[in-house]
Amino acid sequence: MREKLTNPEDVRTWPGTIPVEYVYTAGVAGEAYLRAIKERGCLAASTCPDCNIDYLPPRLYCERCFAKTDEPRDVAARGVVETFTVAHRDLDGRPLEPPVIYAFVRIAGTAGGLIHRLGDVEPGDVHIGLEVEAVFRPPAERVGSILDIEHFKPVG
Amino acid sequence: MGKVAVVGAGMTKFVRRAQETGRELAWQAARMALDSAGMTLKDVDAVVIGSAPDAFDGVHMKGEYLADGSGGWRKPTMRNFVGGATGVFAPIQGWYHIASGQFDTVLVVCEEKMSSCHPHPQGAFLTIFDHTTERPLGPNLLWIFAIEMNRYMTVHGITKEEIALVAVKNKRNAMDHPCAQLGEELTVEDVLNSEIMAWPVNRLDVSPASDGAAAVVMCAEHVAKRVTDKPVWVEGVGWHLDTAYWTNRDLYYPRYVEYAARMAYDMAGIKEPRKEINIVEPYDPFDYKELHHLEGLLLCERGEAPRLTADGVTQRDGDLPVCPSGGLLGVGNPIAAAGLMKVCEIFWQLRGEAGKRQVPGTPKRGLAQAWGDLMQVGAVIILGR
Ligand SMILES: [Zn+2]
Repeated sequence: MREKLTNPEDVRTWPGTIPVEYVYTAGVAGEAYLRAIKERGCLAASTCPDCNIDYLPPRLYCERCFAKTDEPRDVAARGVVETFTVAHRDLDGRPLEPPVIYAFVRIAGTAGGLIHRLGDVEPGDVHIGLEVEAVFRPPAERVGSILDIEHFKPVG
Repeated sequence: MGKVAVVGAGMTKFVRRAQETGRELAWQAARMALDSAGMTLKDVDAVVIGSAPDAFDGVHMKGEYLADGSGGWRKPTMRNFVGGATGVFAPIQGWYHIASGQFDTVLVVCEEKMSSCHPHPQGAFLTIFDHTTERPLGPNLLWIFAIEMNRYMTVHGITKEEIALVAVKNKRNAMDHPCAQLGEELTVEDVLNSEIMAWPVNRLDVSPASDGAAAVVMCAEHVAKRVTDKPVWVEGVGWHLDTAYWTNRDLYYPRYVEYAARMAYDMAGIKEPRKEINIVEPYDPFDYKELHHLEGLLLCERGEAPRLTADGVTQRDGDLPVCPSGGLLGVGNPIAAAGLMKVCEIFWQLRGEAGKRQVPGTPKRGLAQAWGDLMQVGAVIILGR
């Protein structure tokens, strides 16, 4: 019979890593999305010609009917907070100071949206239904990433 | 069990780095397969996704990630993974979805995007080895294959020249494949003079890392008869696993392939595979593996496959065409998609739709096989007209 182990340090261990790095492509639709953000300071959506659904982020194909979607079109980076959270701890459980607000923003005029940070607002002032718009980095600093948007802030 | 047919097939080009995301590649192949069957997503009852380790695409839970591009939106969908054997196991899973009577039409989609792994997928392969007994040595997949190849060569007295003929044949066959990554006219000397990776493996003995997707549409007999006058039937399936310990088996012979093949032959009622299989797509990530697998499939005696190759038996116009597609060596090796590409090839060959790759005569029955994990998983599917 093995004795019950109460201290995991009693087992001999050694560290190991899985050393893998990646380079990703944005894809056909993803490329259009990131170009809109970087080059024009807006978002992009694509529409299924058969189902009439707008996808944001844009997609190459419609998941419902498999049609190729129309070319992505520019969409203003503005919408409504559909839901949100206030994070007080980071990935490793350390305190986040100040806390970070993450929201799902439904983008006006589309059936889609995105997760992003909220800024220029106190956690206590955020509510579901709040109208928000994106704050973009200056054009020269944009690299073609979702982080070219610094955060969303309340409209007005 | 109900009869099951393959009624459509499609695949993307296999390339070193695709602009498309994995799910976009999956959609291209899946849409092509449906179009070729004259069907739409509405006709699909369930979806099977095959994709090898998440580590290659760098996407965790790849099945969920690929689902929308594979037609899985609001449908019963599952992903399978048996290493390199995934691409042949996926249509086997499609088969039992239908043979069981549960579904009438299943879309089977396999995808791999290995270019995401940086600088090379070898970094991800390292981590498939045991963390205690092997990983501290920094094993590279090529060494492990080299160890197996050396054992195979030594037991049977096979030369590197004999093995290189497989690379020459498959890369030449791939010149006729519109989706091929590495179709090329080479000589045995080219193969022997290419860079040594891990003796006895040279660069041209090895298939490339690739991005790509492939798909097939499978359906029950009553649907097949409605949608096509050229159904290709699943006559046999088999799969088998050997131990992951190298230490207790002899690498010169792939028993897991033999057991999978025997299961498929039994189901198909095949007593003499050498006479009853007209065309074969064995898994060929390395040139010697085609030979090794032909032997495991009982399509020749152990150690005899090099002679069949030298005699031209395995050429497209030979008695037993082997890898008429160009195989992984020529078409490319996006792992799961490469296995399903072989099933697509048998489908096109049996329908007489293989274009410039079409083997002469009218082959009645073909076999596709893939192998995976630590040289331990065999999957076999037999299709017939
Ligand atoms: Zn649609």
